[in-house]
Amino acid sequence: MTRVFITGVGVVSSIGLGREEFFRALAEGKSGISTVEAFDTANLGRQYAGEVKNFRPRDHLTAAEARRTGRCSAMTLAAARMAVEDAGLGIEQTRGPRTAVVLGTTMGEADVLEDLDHAWIKNGARGVKRALIPKYGSTLLPIHVARAVGAEGMVLTLPAACAAGNYAIGFGADLIRAGRADVVIVGASEIIQELQFSGFVRLAAMAPDRCQPFDLNRKGMLVGEGAGLLVLESEEHAVRRGTRPQAEVGGYGLSCDAYHITRPHPDAVGSIAATRDAIAYSGLTPDQVDFVNAHGTGTHANDLAESKVMRDVFGDRRVPISSVKSSIGHCMGASSAMEAISCVMTIETGIYPPTIGYETPDPECDLDVVANVPRRGKADVVLNNSLAFGGYNAVMCFARPGVLPEPRRVPLQRAAS
Amino acid sequence: MSTLGIGREAFFRGMQAPVLLHDAPREKMETFDASKYTNPAVAEVRGFDPAKHLGDKGLRSLDRLTKLLVVAARLGMHDAGFKKDGVYVQGSPERVGICCSNAYGSLEAITELDRVAMLEDARYINPSKFPNTVANSASGYVSIWEDIRALNVAVSDGNCGALDAFACADIYLDTGRADALLVGGAEAMSEALYLAFLKLGALEAEKPSVVRGVLLGEGAALMTMEAVEHARDRGARVSAELTGYGTAFVPPESEASLIHPSREAVERAVTSALRDAGIEPKDVDVVASSVCGLRMFDEAELDALARVFPESACVAAPKSVLGETLGAGGGMGMAAALAWFDGAPPSAIVRGDAPARVNTVLVTAIGFYGNASAVVLRKPSASPASHASS
Repeated sequence: MTRVFITGVGVVSSIGLGREEFFRALAEGKSGISTVEAFDTANLGRQYAGEVKNFRPRDHLTAAEARRTGRCSAMTLAAARMAVEDAGLGIEQTRGPRTAVVLGTTMGEADVLEDLDHAWIKNGARGVKRALIPKYGSTLLPIHVARAVGAEGMVLTLPAACAAGNYAIGFGADLIRAGRADVVIVGASEIIQELQFSGFVRLAAMAPDRCQPFDLNRKGMLVGEGAGLLVLESEEHAVRRGTRPQAEVGGYGLSCDAYHITRPHPDAVGSIAATRDAIAYSGLTPDQVDFVNAHGTGTHANDLAESKVMRDVFGDRRVPISSVKSSIGHCMGASSAMEAISCVMTIETGIYPPTIGYETPDPECDLDVVANVPRRGKADVVLNNSLAFGGYNAVMCFARPGVLPEPRRVPLQRAAS
Repeated sequence: MSTLGIGREAFFRGMQAPVLLHDAPREKMETFDASKYTNPAVAEVRGFDPAKHLGDKGLRSLDRLTKLLVVAARLGMHDAGFKKDGVYVQGSPERVGICCSNAYGSLEAITELDRVAMLEDARYINPSKFPNTVANSASGYVSIWEDIRALNVAVSDGNCGALDAFACADIYLDTGRADALLVGGAEAMSEALYLAFLKLGALEAEKPSVVRGVLLGEGAALMTMEAVEHARDRGARVSAELTGYGTAFVPPESEASLIHPSREAVERAVTSALRDAGIEPKDVDVVASSVCGLRMFDEAELDALARVFPESACVAAPKSVLGETLGAGGGMGMAAALAWFDGAPPSAIVRGDAPARVNTVLVTAIGFYGNASAVVLRKPSASPASHASS
């Protein structure tokens, strides 16, 4: 089976556009949290989110593209352009049936639906703008990207809520390993939007102004938005065009809690299984993991579940862990893809981005949290956690090229059982 | 779960001599108040009483999409022999998963909450209904109700999604992530969905296609999919073998276009599915097409099929019986194929003649944006295991 490399990344975030701006801000512990401007929050009891303020679609999209995309697709497309450029791929190299696009999201074009709905509620059926209807649907995210890069293979959306990025990356890598594609543009995107913001407030999950994962005094999550896209390539394709891989996509683990629609399983059995699978499918053992990018939403239930996973999988070895969500909030569907980019940059730079706002360790979370300042450390093998809504768990492994053993279809442990 | 009824038997029975939707008497709609629309019709799952299948408890916060899918999953788990009377008797929760397509999420839930937020106050939206607004909510609930834990993958690729779900499932099974997966698609009827297609002009057939005008539908079609050896080893009744898959995307020529019926995408998807299955066009007995009454799309698909298949090849349009069920569509086409394998005569034929025997079916799907997918199904070869339990 072929190895799968990450050869380019692109990101739209509340702390910057493009890989350099994004990761520099993360490493410096910058916060992208600000008062929401997209809609009126005066009545909602919460005002803060990781809103992307400096994104102008026309800086990245053609006029025609800008006309046919909602905000979520526009961010997706911008990040895809950055990723393809970062990979040094010209359209002649991505055009054709051997390129696929697999993306994740929670709600996709939520603003388009909101416009349609509001017009309908206010003015009845006559108020609904016909031209707007075809612009709605999470199906559209990969369609727009495929058009931009000339991809003619599979175009697929995996709406796996807050684990969607990992689902997309994992399946994209599978497509290459199964020989069904040479290049797959993967990733995920999400926008903040009024109904979803209000919903999280109503679930009593939202913090007032800071997201403090693993902190004793945490007050919950903050929503954020953005897009993270990555270019996956088969080893052969990458070698043939002489590109330098940024990281290798290792194995991944999936599981479903079958417990509660919004809360993680208190015993974390599903996420433990997913973590063990991510390591096993990479042909590794837990002692080889250097750093864990936490799901780290800053809710009590999540932090506890993740701490259980760390204890169960790594035992007494305290593997450094950190949560990007302290900086940019929970970008929902986009989060694990944006965080995957952070993982790639950690592998490249050896820098673990800090968990900001970490003041009082929670004794229930006995973890080595990378607190407030970045840390340098070994970064050959990095795990990316996502424990999503619906009990959807996905844990992804990324590694420095040359570290992982020969990929296998089924891990040794499983083949033997 | 289709307009033919609930469960495998009802579907197979309905497919014996199905009535074209346009010939059926129009009944009062059950899913939403359609009194303000002129002569409305949709292919609903009629007389659906979720409590009959799921009990009374815990249904209040579930939307229609979730209820349809959970019941389909429950029926599927029992039909496949994994469960008996609600309890696992074969396999285990850790090794069974779900991979399910849906195109538009729960428009019912989103519009309901939007109404509360707009007309009353966003602070009054019901937190127990908020999770329904998330696209993977329905399959998340399936895992809880049916105790399915190996993996849970929601797929979205419009009308092609259900066929793509089988391609995803194939990879997940092949890489040992599960022993069996519930695979297919679901879509629920709602006023928002109806209105969207009405506004687009998709429901009025000014110039009729090979079938008369689109009738939107709803339903959930799930199949349990597992490796041949795994099915044999546990003595399962095998309904069909999935032997090939193909997909393609071809963008419109004009940068300004968004909607795009692509003949070329269908042709490529079909060709690569046949290649994947290792068969020739002549080996296909029936094409379960996605012809639905949308003229532009029907023409593109039929043109593509005409380029691949001889004129006499039998092309059926199951959607003229089951409705355009969007994210469930490919699953419905596959269910139709299973009914034909079971002995139901191919119906709603729009081209060619019905073959004497149906051993191989190609199921096709054309998307709204230049995407297309195709799946090849084969009637299982007679094997001792497949007869023992049937």
